[in-house]
Amino acid sequence: MTYDVIKEAVAKQQSGDKKVSNENNILGKVMTFHIGEQIYGIELQNVVEIIEMCHITKIPHVPVYIKGIINVRSKVVPVLDIRTRFGKPEIPYTSRTCIIILTMDDMSVGIIVDKVADVEDIHSSDISATPENKSVNTNEFIQYMIRSGDDVKLILDVKQLLGDEV
Amino acid sequence: MARIETGMEAMLDMYFYETNTLLEQLDEILLRTEQANMFDSEDIKEIFRIMHTIKGSSAMMGFDNLSVLAHKAEDMFFVIRENPDVITDVSFVYDLVFQVSDSYKAQIEAIQNNDGGEYESMDFTDLINKLLKARDVLMGEANGEAAPAAAAAAQDAPAAAVDSDKTTVRVFFEDGCQMENLRAFLLINTIKEECSFLEFTPADVETNPEASKVIIENGFLITFKPIDNVDFVLKQIESALNVQSYEVVSAAAAEEPAAELPPEPKAAAPVAAAPAAAVAAPVAAPAAAEVKEQSSIEKAQAAVEKAQAASGMQKQNLISVNLAKLDALHDIVGEIITTESMVISNPDLEGLELESFNKAARQLRKLTSELQDTVMSIRMVPLAGVFQKMNRIVRDMRKKLNKDVEFIIEGEETEVDKSIVDSLQDPLMHLVRNCMDHGIEENVQDRINAGKPEKGRLKLAATNSSGEVIITISDDGKGIDPEKVMSKAKRQGLLTKPESEYTEKEIQNMILLPGFSTNEQATEFSGRGVGMDVVKANVEKCGGSIVIDSKKGQGTTFIIKIPLTLAIIDGMEITCGDLVFTVPISTIRESFKAEASQLLNDTNNNEMIMIRGVCYPILRIHEKFDIQTEVTDLEEGILLLVETDNKSVCIFADKLIGEQQVVVKPFPKYLSRYNVKGKGLSGCTIMGDGSISLIIDTNSLIG
Repeated sequence: MTYDVIKEAVAKQQSGDKKVSNENNILGKVMTFHIGEQIYGIELQNVVEIIEMCHITKIPHVPVYIKGIINVRSKVVPVLDIRTRFGKPEIPYTSRTCIIILTMDDMSVGIIVDKVADVEDIHSSDISATPENKSVNTNEFIQYMIRSGDDVKLILDVKQLLGDEV
Repeated sequence: MARIETGMEAMLDMYFYETNTLLEQLDEILLRTEQANMFDSEDIKEIFRIMHTIKGSSAMMGFDNLSVLAHKAEDMFFVIRENPDVITDVSFVYDLVFQVSDSYKAQIEAIQNNDGGEYESMDFTDLINKLLKARDVLMGEANGEAAPAAAAAAQDAPAAAVDSDKTTVRVFFEDGCQMENLRAFLLINTIKEECSFLEFTPADVETNPEASKVIIENGFLITFKPIDNVDFVLKQIESALNVQSYEVVSAAAAEEPAAELPPEPKAAAPVAAAPAAAVAAPVAAPAAAEVKEQSSIEKAQAAVEKAQAASGMQKQNLISVNLAKLDALHDIVGEIITTESMVISNPDLEGLELESFNKAARQLRKLTSELQDTVMSIRMVPLAGVFQKMNRIVRDMRKKLNKDVEFIIEGEETEVDKSIVDSLQDPLMHLVRNCMDHGIEENVQDRINAGKPEKGRLKLAATNSSGEVIITISDDGKGIDPEKVMSKAKRQGLLTKPESEYTEKEIQNMILLPGFSTNEQATEFSGRGVGMDVVKANVEKCGGSIVIDSKKGQGTTFIIKIPLTLAIIDGMEITCGDLVFTVPISTIRESFKAEASQLLNDTNNNEMIMIRGVCYPILRIHEKFDIQTEVTDLEEGILLLVETDNKSVCIFADKLIGEQQVVVKPFPKYLSRYNVKGKGLSGCTIMGDGSISLIIDTNSLIG
């Protein structure tokens, strides 16, 4: 989703016009997953598939969060650990640990997550923008947030996540 | 700016492929015949056929300027074909045809790089005028003094022809050839210059696609009155693209030749396979044609028969396949082999006595490996295509630089992987240019003084040697002057150590450094200082290496070594910790267990090993790649002596697994930013059990 769409959705919610602020469109779908207690999401168009944890071949001379490469049906795909990428402590992999294969610009990358949760619609009325202050810890990876009830889901910016190291 | 006609985009690829193939064919014929300095009648026919086909397909695609250009070239060759003796000065014909070929390539490239269907339409007026002039000159020579008479006869002829009645023919196009209306329109265009009267039904073929249906059902009716001979026109209709058959509905009573034609539908030559262009008409050269009207008809008929016979023999057993499809096939085969291993060595089968299963499994393994070999061989193409292009470059430069050079090609049948062939073209072109420009002496006297034959020699050769292709480009020119190179390198600030420490070989290879160009003045062809380093980079990109061997005053040789294929290598599997590495067998000299007595340490505590009196440094894989392993004692693990580019090192790993052919896969794109490749690994491969092994790049490991 582009920043314009997010801005527009947020602007509509804050609009004084009742009719506009009550508007509720479905803007797409996200796949949600857990990292510790926090729920994160990735827009579905970036998700190729989810595979079980498998043997990862380590690669020398790369940052610690790149765990190595795996063989996904004869394609070699690099795997990142989201925990380490976000500076969270590593925990042992369990049977719930999954690798989500993402794609962007012909590039496939797997990310290791604690547990996959659900696939859900994005309602325009639930969208919140991230705080303007970009210097706050992991905000660089969060594109926007979705509120549902008391939960807040952080939707990851795949471009930032797979992009060059800042 | 012109636009590509809508609806034609789908056919563009085919058009490009076909036209480029034809142009390459044309270049080949021209280069071959130019050496012999004469046209064979077969060659002329072939050139004529090529021009005709290009004309037709360009017109169909709506590239009018290209169509006209080909048309004029065709005209010129018509004159030559009819009067093979007319060419007194062959070279100007060659220059013209080469120009046509180049203009074509330029325009096609422009169309290929089109921006949303828009492209720059080039103006070929100059060239067309030159062609017309050439045709007139040739025609003048053909008719000699009789030319005015011929012109007079030409004026009389139509007058006689007008008396004859109109002829009506019904034309049917090939089933499923599509766009019948446009094809009909093209047909009309082709014959209209030959007819003084022309009428056709349906009449709105150009603008109304609906007319196609009518044409399919009822045929395309053309009523015409020929300017000169009804046979010419009929032949044209017959040989037009995609015409399946035609019948003469009402033949002109007065025309004798028409009566000879059987009234029932007559099968036309299979146009797509071999456009029987030999008959294609003397569209704009009626004057010459009329003089020898009768004889040329006979000739044309004979030519058709010949062309048809030839088409049967020359039918190529080749098809063109999209490379992406081959890559996909290759991937699938890789997967099949992996899956096969998973089935045959499945843990569920352990401990079972399965005689018939094992037999079937062996059979399967044999077949899959055959399948793999076949798929690999599909990707192999001969170097001939690239080498031929060099021929053309040498020809052009020979003329421009006025250097007399003999160009020798050897081993063009050597086959390498398609992707390598593609990336070789640029480096080779550069090297050939360099040899022609800087290598061969400008002054013939210099050569004679040096005791060399007047004619320079440039040799391009390819040989196959143990999994590698070696391409050498050598000239017998002035060679590389180490002093000049040195002073130049000093001026450019390219030296990294004291001048006296450079060996002659090192100095020669400095030419390959970025920003180096010895020629004082840049020429049209080379000498801008970008180039040799690009050549090196390009060769290295496809896994090869380049070395210069030169002697001042005797010539220069560039030696390029490239792997046969990027995709498959013979590898030795070794383990280190929980990782598996593949070392290309071509780089391994030997593998052995170390003995304490062989091991040495230098003052910096670097480990070394003495093998048969030669001392080699030891490189521990687990240290280099930061791997946890229990095997750290040199006597416990295994040592592999590897060598590339005359540099050797002993690498130390835990254990040797064995030899295996592996399919090389590049590292994922995501990892390219971490420069994994430059740190001792060249790629990875998927092994039989689905696990991944890392391929060691000996070159960057040592460097």
